[in-house]
Parts: sequence; C-alpha cells; structure tokens
Amino acid sequence: MHVERIKFERTGGFAGMRIAKDLKLDDLPDEQADSIMELLEDLDFEELPEKLKNEKAMPDQFTYTITVETKKGEHTVTTGDASAPEKMQELLRLLDRLARTRKKQ
Amino acid sequence: MHKHFSVNCFIPPHILKNIATKGTESQKNLAIGTLKISARMSGQRQALAEFAAATFRVAGGGKDRVIYDARNGASLPGTVVRKEGDASVADVAVNEAYDGSGITYDLFNDMYQRNSIDGNGMRLDSTVHYRRGYDNAFWDGEQMVYGDGDEDLPVDERLFNRFTAALDVIAHELTHGVTQFEAKLTYSQQPGALNESMSDVFGSLVKQYKLQQTATEADWIIGQGLLTENVNGVGIRSMKAPGTAYDDPVLGKDPQPAHMKDYVNTISDNGGVHINSGIPNYAFYVTAVELGGYAWERAGKIWYATLKDKLTANSRFQDCANMTYRAAGELYGAGSIEQQAVQKGWAEVGLSVDGGGTTTPPDGGGCLEALFRLIGVAPAKR
Repeated sequence: MHVERIKFERTGGFAGMRIAKDLKLDDLPDEQADSIMELLEDLDFEELPEKLKNEKAMPDQFTYTITVETKKGEHTVTTGDASAPEKMQELLRLLDRLARTRKKQ
Repeated sequence: MHKHFSVNCFIPPHILKNIATKGTESQKNLAIGTLKISARMSGQRQALAEFAAATFRVAGGGKDRVIYDARNGASLPGTVVRKEGDASVADVAVNEAYDGSGITYDLFNDMYQRNSIDGNGMRLDSTVHYRRGYDNAFWDGEQMVYGDGDEDLPVDERLFNRFTAALDVIAHELTHGVTQFEAKLTYSQQPGALNESMSDVFGSLVKQYKLQQTATEADWIIGQGLLTENVNGVGIRSMKAPGTAYDDPVLGKDPQPAHMKDYVNTISDNGGVHINSGIPNYAFYVTAVELGGYAWERAGKIWYATLKDKLTANSRFQDCANMTYRAAGELYGAGSIEQQAVQKGWAEVGLSVDGGGTTTPPDGGGCLEALFRLIGVAPAKR
C-alpha cells in the first residue's frame, strides 16, 4: 500500500471545537512518515469497518475521522476515543498531535 | 426440602434485593439472609458473590470515590491511586478529581436528596492522566475520564490546562452520569444539546455551591481556568452570555447561540450538542437571576425535577421549556414567581411555554368558546 494523503478530523469533545489536518506523507520527516505507515499497516487500515463508534453514547468524547488515500482509492474510518482498538490509539495520538501543532503557525 | 424455603421462593429475588437495599434494618437482614439461602440452594455462587458486593457497597453509605491513574495510556480505568477516605496525595490531578466528585456528590445529595449518580450510592470512578496531550474530559457510560490538556506541546503553544483544574468540568461529567440514569437524553441534536446543557447547569451550580455565590455573584463561565494564557478567552462557554467565552486567532470564536433564531444546524459534534446548548443554558441563567439568591436552591430544584421526572430520551427544547414550567408549578404553585421566572427564562431565548393552567387565555381562546364553536353557536366576534 502506498499512502499519498491522510485527512484527519477531530470533532466534539467537552469544548466542541473542530480541528483538522490534511497530510501529504512526502512532506513529513521520514521518521514520522515511516511510523504512520507502520501503524496503518499494522492496523490493516483498509480492512477496518467505516464506523468504530460504540453502541452506547459517551458524552464529550472526541469523534475522529481518518481518510487514507492510496492510488487505489480512499478509505475512511470514524471512531471515538474509547471505541478505538488498542492498536489504533498510537495512530490517533500521532495524528492528533500533528493537527494540534498546526494550530500555531 | 424444608417448608420455609419454599415460602422464600414466592418472593422473587429482585424484590428481595430491593428490600435488602432499601428496607429497614431488620427487613434488610431478613432479605439478605433469604437471598443467601436461595442462592446457596440453587448453587448460584456467582450471584451470591455479586450480591454481597452490592449490599456491602450500599451498606457502606453514600459517598464512595475511587481515583485511577491511566499513566498516559488509553486503557480504562487504570491503576487505583486514591480511595474514599484516603489522605490527599502528591498528584494534584488526583486530588482535584477526588475533591471535585466529592462536592458534586454533596450538592446532589444535600440539595436534591440524590444518593450518587444512580440515586443508589453508585461508586464514583474517575481516571486522570488519560493518554498524552489529551485536551478533553468525558463520561464513558460508567466513569469520568480526564486528560492533562496539551502538555505535550511546547509551553508557548499550549492552549489547555489539565481538565481537572475546573470544578465545573468535573461536575459536568458526573451529571452526564445522572442524565444517563434519569432522562436518558439521546446524545444528538436537541436532546443531545439538552443533555449538554444539564451538565453545564449542574456543573456551574456545583461551583457556585462550593464558592457560596448567589446567581448575580457567579461568573457563569464553564471551564474557567482551562484555557492557558496563550488564548484570548475566559473559558469554554458562558451561560450568562453564550458566544462570548473566547475569541482567539487559533481557537476561533465561541460559536454558541443564546436564542432560537440563531440555532446552528450542523452534523458535526453530534448535531452541535456543545453549540446549541447555549440556548437552554441561557434560559436557565435568566431564570436563576430573575429569582436571585442561590441558583441551586429554586432554579436548580426545578431543573433537577425536570431532569429526573419529566424529560425523556427524545425531549426537545420546547419540551424542556414546558416541563420546567410545569415542574415549577408543581413545586411552588401555579402562577408563583418561580413559575413566572421560568417562563421569562424561555421567553428570552424565543420559546413560549405551553404549560397550561396559569396564564389567562387570550381573547377568544377560551375553552367554553371553543366548545361553542364546535357545536356551531360561537358568540359573535367582538
């Protein structure tokens, strides 16, 4: 899988503020791009269901939407904090940090 | 089999459990004894163990807090770091979660006679240090969870402090638990915004209760102290002036409306639950200030009764207006100043209450006249 772009969006949360980040993997430092690639492959991202949200409501949780674009097309996955599988937490943390860092420019 | 055992079987276990938890001391002992025997007889060791734990918890009294540390991981609840009655620890977030859930318990218990989240002494579990750079807090259906803000960024880029720093945030999360056991407001669109508003209302009331502030003395800011000095803002939301809490080049502007005409239609944030909550928030604020004094007393009591006994999963703003009006009538009398204050609160956000019974019907709107019209003998128009 060759990932071209990743679109990340975070909505909801106690403050209800939206943050988003559109990433071209080529623009990232190699080390960062590599770890994102590794996490996506480890997760089998393309095979994940589109919605990982829990059945029960979890007030004030963030909702994350991650779209991964490859040459073949794109795949979008939506998840909450506690409904994201263990393996996905590191990916969320990494993308979330990139999105928050961008706020200050 | 002895005869008296077969008598026991006539009382279903769930009723015995009720007696065991809610009955008088001698009723409790009898019911517990019976349950133990029944469980042993049917070999339900698991049920017996669970039940023993449950009765122990209730017998232990009301306030029962446990604070966990996620140690920057994402698994919940984490490691126990402080239990009910333990002395304070070195970690400030742990103590804030402990004290904050304690005073929230106190307000609900002292003012509204509610024993914890479920009304039945449920243990208050909180986890601090959830993940890294987690600028949020939430209720996961069973417990409260708090992040440390954006402590992973360089100091001059940080926007949020730790989320336990604001008492009203803690009370807000705990109230989500109360709502889950009472009105069960669906977390989407208007019912979701009401769910959010209830959490802000009791969040702010807990803070006012702690500070012993009257409605006019209170700042009505939600999340005061949560934003760092890098942000131009006083908090996350303002109940007194929705839409004015922050206006910042990085965070943008507080998007909350204070009136139905500015209701925000969006699919984001579960249909804008944290945005449109500004409308019922402002209705509560106006009601509270109209009444004066401590807001948790009369205004809070009306809202609590509405949350507990009147709202349901799909209630909308108009329903909440009608039901708070009705609750005020039941608590303080039809036409009372309390009921008038509620009416004014909702009028200020563009909703007229439809509670019936107290306002004089407008000209030509009488019941008798409607009947006359129906049978074709309507009096001539004036």
